[in-house]
Amino acid sequence: MSSKAEVGSTYLEGERLPNFKSLSGIDYKEYYTKADWNKELADPGQYPYTRGIHRDMYRGRLWTRRQQSGFGSPEESNKRLKYLLAVGETGINMDVDVATKYGLDADYPLAQADAGLQGTSMSTYEDMRALYDGIAPDKVSSTLIIQPPFSAVTMAQYLLLANERGVPWEKLIGTIMNCSVTQNVGPTLQSNMAWFPFDLSVKIGYDIMEYITPRIPRWNILNINAYNMRETGVDAVQEAAFSMALVSDYIKGLVRRGLDVDSFAHRMAFFSCAHIDLFEEVAKLRAMRRIWARMLKEKFHAKNPRSMTWRTAIQTAALPLTAQQPLNNIVRATIQTLAAVLAGTQSIHTTGYDEAYSLPTEESHKLSVRTQQIIAYESRVACSSDPLGGCYLVERLTDEIEERAWDLMKVIEEKGGFLQVYKDGWVEERINEARYKYGDGIESGDLTVVGVNKFVDEEDDVNINIFRHAEDMQAKRIEYVQNYKKTRDQEPVKRSLQKLYDLTKNKPETNMFEPIMEAVKAKATLQEICDAMRQACNFEIPR
Amino acid sequence: MTMTKKKIILAKVGLDGHDNGIRIVSKWLMDGGYEVVYTGLYNTPERVLQIALEENADAIGVSFLGGEHVAYARRFVTLLKEKEMAHLKLIIGGVIPPVDVAELNRIGVHAVFTPGTRRDALLSKLKETVC
Repeated sequence: MSSKAEVGSTYLEGERLPNFKSLSGIDYKEYYTKADWNKELADPGQYPYTRGIHRDMYRGRLWTRRQQSGFGSPEESNKRLKYLLAVGETGINMDVDVATKYGLDADYPLAQADAGLQGTSMSTYEDMRALYDGIAPDKVSSTLIIQPPFSAVTMAQYLLLANERGVPWEKLIGTIMNCSVTQNVGPTLQSNMAWFPFDLSVKIGYDIMEYITPRIPRWNILNINAYNMRETGVDAVQEAAFSMALVSDYIKGLVRRGLDVDSFAHRMAFFSCAHIDLFEEVAKLRAMRRIWARMLKEKFHAKNPRSMTWRTAIQTAALPLTAQQPLNNIVRATIQTLAAVLAGTQSIHTTGYDEAYSLPTEESHKLSVRTQQIIAYESRVACSSDPLGGCYLVERLTDEIEERAWDLMKVIEEKGGFLQVYKDGWVEERINEARYKYGDGIESGDLTVVGVNKFVDEEDDVNINIFRHAEDMQAKRIEYVQNYKKTRDQEPVKRSLQKLYDLTKNKPETNMFEPIMEAVKAKATLQEICDAMRQACNFEIPR
Repeated sequence: MTMTKKKIILAKVGLDGHDNGIRIVSKWLMDGGYEVVYTGLYNTPERVLQIALEENADAIGVSFLGGEHVAYARRFVTLLKEKEMAHLKLIIGGVIPPVDVAELNRIGVHAVFTPGTRRDALLSKLKETVC
């Protein structure tokens, strides 16, 4: 450093925040008093569950530490799963690669360069067996991250695994995400329209829910990925309103099929976001619990209190994480994880500090688990239920977000419901607006991102350990799928695929889950199963 | 003196559907005086170059998130040579580790933009690259 350079500080001029607004644009007041909020609250575990779905919350049981993981082949992912369980992860969150999420095998030409990059490449029953090698499906709960109709294949693989291991389905605990709208990269239009006929995808989603509901009593039939909605850039109010409007459509769909709301409502869960605006996020999650409770009771006339308890998993937002000064992301993720805990959520994925570079390394994955363990065991914030309950600011904000979300839900309802406005492109417009606003916020300085538009390092020489895939990973996966298709008994495959084709074409009202499971058993691959149904609809996919 | 606007094709190739970045960049470029054609998701390099040819574009900008950037960049560079389209500038953006930024530059990508790039920095580097 040059000795001539004068070191100064702007502190004496008064260091001030650019504004006092929440990320959703709600004004934070100078301070809050009884005049802002002066109501009675039901206790934790009591309707409308603002303060949490259990009386004892984390005293009875800590939240689940459930880190998403998956990359390369099932064998490689199995090693990472075992590593995570060894360092204290308590639930599995298995993430498949993009190809699998679109119902493509690794050898499909457009899929080859993406195979295994962002999740595990999973085409066959044997892949599921390899992924869960040495892991007991009745001893650890699993979330299977995939949407319809491809979720039918993954679910079938998992059930066949349980059969082979002699585990009765009643003992399986977990979740199939199973949402046609939110699971890819949020509700952007092209991502959900390009790979399968959209309405048929929603229909097969219902088939899966209907099949699972009576047969696997501890399995969640649907998970609304509010997180992916939020990560497109929309705000907390939109996240709450969009996801609640969407689940309302799904509930209506199952009721139309003749299911009693109390038979399935407690098996629907959410995957929500914990962004960086701590109080707003706590308020949002408390408001979502109340919206769900009121919606189930008043709109859908649920009788069982369990149907009215809103359960959510959390992922800490990746959008505010930065490539610049990546260690700062550890601090951000800690604040976000704290928000999720203060809000009383059921499971947490703390996003890795290396998110802006690659999938997490083992070290980063472990740090995420440790962040949660430090909050759980050292900070003492988990000792009392809803520790912020009664705080004027948080209660006022909870009310305000709830009101705004109901208003937005009403707008969506009047336009025909979420599935309709999604298909109409209305949601896409809201998302693009939000993205531009986010970009503008950073440019104008209205939104501070440390290391990006404030407190920027002169030299951005980042020294970070980055996850790398094995060089031959993709070639091996492509070879595996090609060999698999060559070396099996072809007759049962042909028969089961023909059946899928015929049913889709001629008996579209049939529940497709069992025929899909038969095809998996017959050793049809994921893409072959999906192609049979695509062809029956003359549906073309990008090539 | 009137200048004709420079034309840029923006695209996602392969399967990745993360398009926050490229949507914001496309708005910034339009605001910054460029003509932008956004092709959407799920393109092949061949298709993007075909569009660039038809549109008589000055540059193509491709966005990645999942780690597929080097494989696709190589394909683009090869195709640009084969099709004798060397006048077309190749720009890549997205989640790209530092070691890969160097590799992309080495194989002939004209500019690489990573997360957190400010609008002015983007526009000035682009002006240097495309003009």
